[in-house]
Amino acid sequence: MAQPAYQRNTNVSVQEGIEKKQKNVKKTFIYFILMIYALVNTYPIIWMVINSFKNNIEFSKKPFSLPEVWQFENYKTAWKTAHLDTYLLNSIIVSVSAVILTVFLGALASYFLARFSFKWGKYIYTFFTFGMLIPVHATLVPLFLLMKNLGLLNTHVGLILPYIAFNLPITIFILVSFMKSFPLDIEESAIMDGCGVFRIFWHIILPMTRPALATVVILNFINNWNEFSFALVLVNDESLKTLPLGLANFAGQFTTNYGAQMAGLTLAIIPTIIIYVLLEEHLVKGMTAGAVKG
Amino acid sequence: MHLLSQKKWPILIGLAPAIIVYFLFAIIPIVISFYYSLMDWDGFTKMTFVGLANFKEVFNDPIFWQSLKNNLYVLAASVFGQVPIALFFALLLNRKLKGGKFFRTVGFMPVVISTVVISLVWGMMYNARIGLFNQFLKIIGLEQWAQNWLGDPKWAMVSVSITIIWQFVGLYLIIFLAALQNIPQEIYDASEIDGASGLKQTIYIVLPMIWDTIIVAVILCISGSLRTFDLIYVMTSGGPGHATEVMAMYMFDKTFSSTRYGYGSAISLCIFFFSLALIYISNLILRRKTV
Amino acid sequence: MKKFRILSFLLVVMLLSLTACSGSSEQSSGKSSDDSEGKIELTFWNIWTDPSPQNKASLKQVEKFMKEHPNIVIKQQNIPHDQYKVKLKTQAAGKQLPDLIQVWPGAELKPLVDGGLVQPLDDIVSNWDSLITNKDYLKDYQISGKQYAIPANVTPTSVVYYDKDMLAKVGYNEFPKTYEEFKTLIKKLKDSGTIPIALGNKAQWVLQSSYISTIGDRLTGSDFLKSVLETGKKKFTDEKFIKAVGIIKELADMGAFNDDFNSIDNNQHRDLFISGDAAMMIDGAWSLGPVLEAAPNKHIGLALFPQVDGGLGDPTAVSAVTGTGIAINSELKGEKLKAAQEFLKAFYGEDYYKNLMKADILVPANIEPPADISPQLKEMAELTSKKIAPVYDATLPTEVTDIINAGLQEVTLGTMTPEQLAKKLQEAVDKQK
Repeated sequence: MAQPAYQRNTNVSVQEGIEKKQKNVKKTFIYFILMIYALVNTYPIIWMVINSFKNNIEFSKKPFSLPEVWQFENYKTAWKTAHLDTYLLNSIIVSVSAVILTVFLGALASYFLARFSFKWGKYIYTFFTFGMLIPVHATLVPLFLLMKNLGLLNTHVGLILPYIAFNLPITIFILVSFMKSFPLDIEESAIMDGCGVFRIFWHIILPMTRPALATVVILNFINNWNEFSFALVLVNDESLKTLPLGLANFAGQFTTNYGAQMAGLTLAIIPTIIIYVLLEEHLVKGMTAGAVKG
Repeated sequence: MHLLSQKKWPILIGLAPAIIVYFLFAIIPIVISFYYSLMDWDGFTKMTFVGLANFKEVFNDPIFWQSLKNNLYVLAASVFGQVPIALFFALLLNRKLKGGKFFRTVGFMPVVISTVVISLVWGMMYNARIGLFNQFLKIIGLEQWAQNWLGDPKWAMVSVSITIIWQFVGLYLIIFLAALQNIPQEIYDASEIDGASGLKQTIYIVLPMIWDTIIVAVILCISGSLRTFDLIYVMTSGGPGHATEVMAMYMFDKTFSSTRYGYGSAISLCIFFFSLALIYISNLILRRKTV
Repeated sequence: MKKFRILSFLLVVMLLSLTACSGSSEQSSGKSSDDSEGKIELTFWNIWTDPSPQNKASLKQVEKFMKEHPNIVIKQQNIPHDQYKVKLKTQAAGKQLPDLIQVWPGAELKPLVDGGLVQPLDDIVSNWDSLITNKDYLKDYQISGKQYAIPANVTPTSVVYYDKDMLAKVGYNEFPKTYEEFKTLIKKLKDSGTIPIALGNKAQWVLQSSYISTIGDRLTGSDFLKSVLETGKKKFTDEKFIKAVGIIKELADMGAFNDDFNSIDNNQHRDLFISGDAAMMIDGAWSLGPVLEAAPNKHIGLALFPQVDGGLGDPTAVSAVTGTGIAINSELKGEKLKAAQEFLKAFYGEDYYKNLMKADILVPANIEPPADISPQLKEMAELTSKKIAPVYDATLPTEVTDIINAGLQEVTLGTMTPEQLAKKLQEAVDKQK
């Protein structure tokens, strides 16, 4: 990280001293705000982890204190009740494949919608945004019937395809707005060099879109990782079910095992955080090391 | 306009896969669902055609209008809460700061956490008996301000909206951060030479450059708010009474609890058209400003 | 960029594993069908996900059956209660129901029967003649005189649980016999600084299932709902019914409940009672097991909602519903049907009912209770065996249930009067016809 400008000054005049002081005050203030922001945002995670060690009575009677007896076996119960061994793997398979396909297809489509002008472009773009306006629950029964007729019920593919379809709109929506903001002359030199359309996409546009790509990868992953309704109705086989279905198992008709539920949710959140941390630097590539260095 | 625009086939190849998957697995189910809206169907016995009767009933249903009102409430909270807060923190975090990565990660956490956890922890904080908010008010001597946050119809929607704002600020934060990466460093430098810095720079240089992204964020707010479901479903189940009922939840209950697929579909069609109209209107307002 | 490469590498590996996995799962499923040649496979959906004693007993029963019948394979799917109903309805719309389906009585079962999706058990119902001697218990699963499932448990939905020590402290060694006395008790408990009755009505069904079902019965008598729905002789706008709703309002207004009763759920209200923050709770028999498990040393008393002056109902009646029935898919024929019937006969056996009793569950079977059941369960059985009243949500159409659920909550908030709720309910009933 580069040195802040004010530290480079060697002959500090009075005037600059005051400026420095003001800057320090400003900095402290910024950090103060950020610390509060961090606390407000992380508290629920901390709360979840702490409560994952409580029994039910403590959970509802003293929700904000540390557990009196640490119930480590909650994690064991959680692992079993939520069928984490099989469901976790299924979730990874389904989410990751859907993310890769959605982002790839979405980026390709966005490239043409954003960088080319053709007759139907605007309509196709509008057509895609329609998908963001439908409550998913309205499509459960029709989608179920459709998958039944296609023979895709009870398969991973039968889950991945709707995940792609329902995440394409927001993916395209974000990517198009991003790609549109590049100046037009970017491709022109490439065309002069004789680059094909798809090479421009792969070598010029995609690298430039990296922050937005990171954004949509994260969004897609979270959406798929937490998706419940489609998984509930489209999959019957125990060996194909995904994590959110397992995480619902803690709630019985008249009882809920909250401690174990928190333990299960704590485990389930780890992959999402890993993905986010891995992608975070691309989100803000410009500020870490300049755009070209990879 | 573009040199490549004469050739048709690459466009076709590029768009076809996305369109096909989207059409087959999103559009067809949606269209079928719209078709149900003209039917009376319980999912068990034969369906019968009833024309627009479902829509007539929707428009005369006071609970539906109540839920629309609540959706608009969430929408207002999102547009005027999430977007400015997210923008503020995006600008703050888009600079060289020690621990910047940490704060950016932390800012995104609420989007990652399960809705169940969010509703449980916020529910407990709002709790009238043992909740943190009321205890805090008690400590600072403002006990008369203590409320039954989620149990009182006057406050339930406010409380729920605050949680929703909190939950999704992180989403817009990363969208804005990504957009801010598109502004070349030279522009900041040039404007600083011209004497623009701080707030001025932000308002006159940065905001116009990410204005399109702000519009994107507003549209995402509209589509998200009108379909909002999970959090309210777990946090209040629409109660007390119907004080926090929202359209998507009402549609869900009508479909799967009362098994009135036709009526549920009619509500979802209304959600679709309301969202479309609101996006159109917001586009008119926001685009005009830029010109 | 390095991380990006690692990540993309990981993603590719995962994608490859996907193709590998889907391949292998096809193989394995192919294999299993080979193995099961000559075996009969029955699919079975239930809600036995969490390891509660009742679920454990049920799952054990399935395993036992498979051990005793090596030629029949029961392929289960356990789905949590709330989601089960969404899935069931979706799959019913596509006529893709499993062979054996866990069903709930009344309003939940009726559409399945109307849609011709399940078949009656009339051929085998005589099997339980000696076990379930009280034929009333079979009624919940009957539609138009045909039996569609056998109940595993009887669930009184409205029992008053009270802490004997806490009541003794305010001078009550006996539970009050009349509603007026009950109110005095509440006032005394409130003055002593405890929550009189723990209530968590966030999900809205508690006031309906555990309160109005029995309180309504005290005032209107047990034939009320039937005559409202079927003959139309009585209406919800009946002053007795309005008075019953008024009792709930009165309890809320006098501060009988914890302040947050509309924002916590039934799990949380049970915990309030267990932890001693509240002296009483009105809850279903399903809470007995969890209460005994969490607070084995608490002196728990059980009672029914007291008599109300001017009421037409029997004060010994309690609203109850039978449950955990399993219906057979109407498409089953021949060998598979036989296997399914065999399963039901074996499943609802004496040993199952005994195991349920050990798990503090009341059962419809007339059997000698095992020696080691809890005294509280015996007390519960005594208390609730005299007269059964209908539970509202098992009797009313779901649309009407939705109205009374939300309406009772509004009544407690004062945003709706009992008269308005009664009127709204009657309108909904009229619309159904």
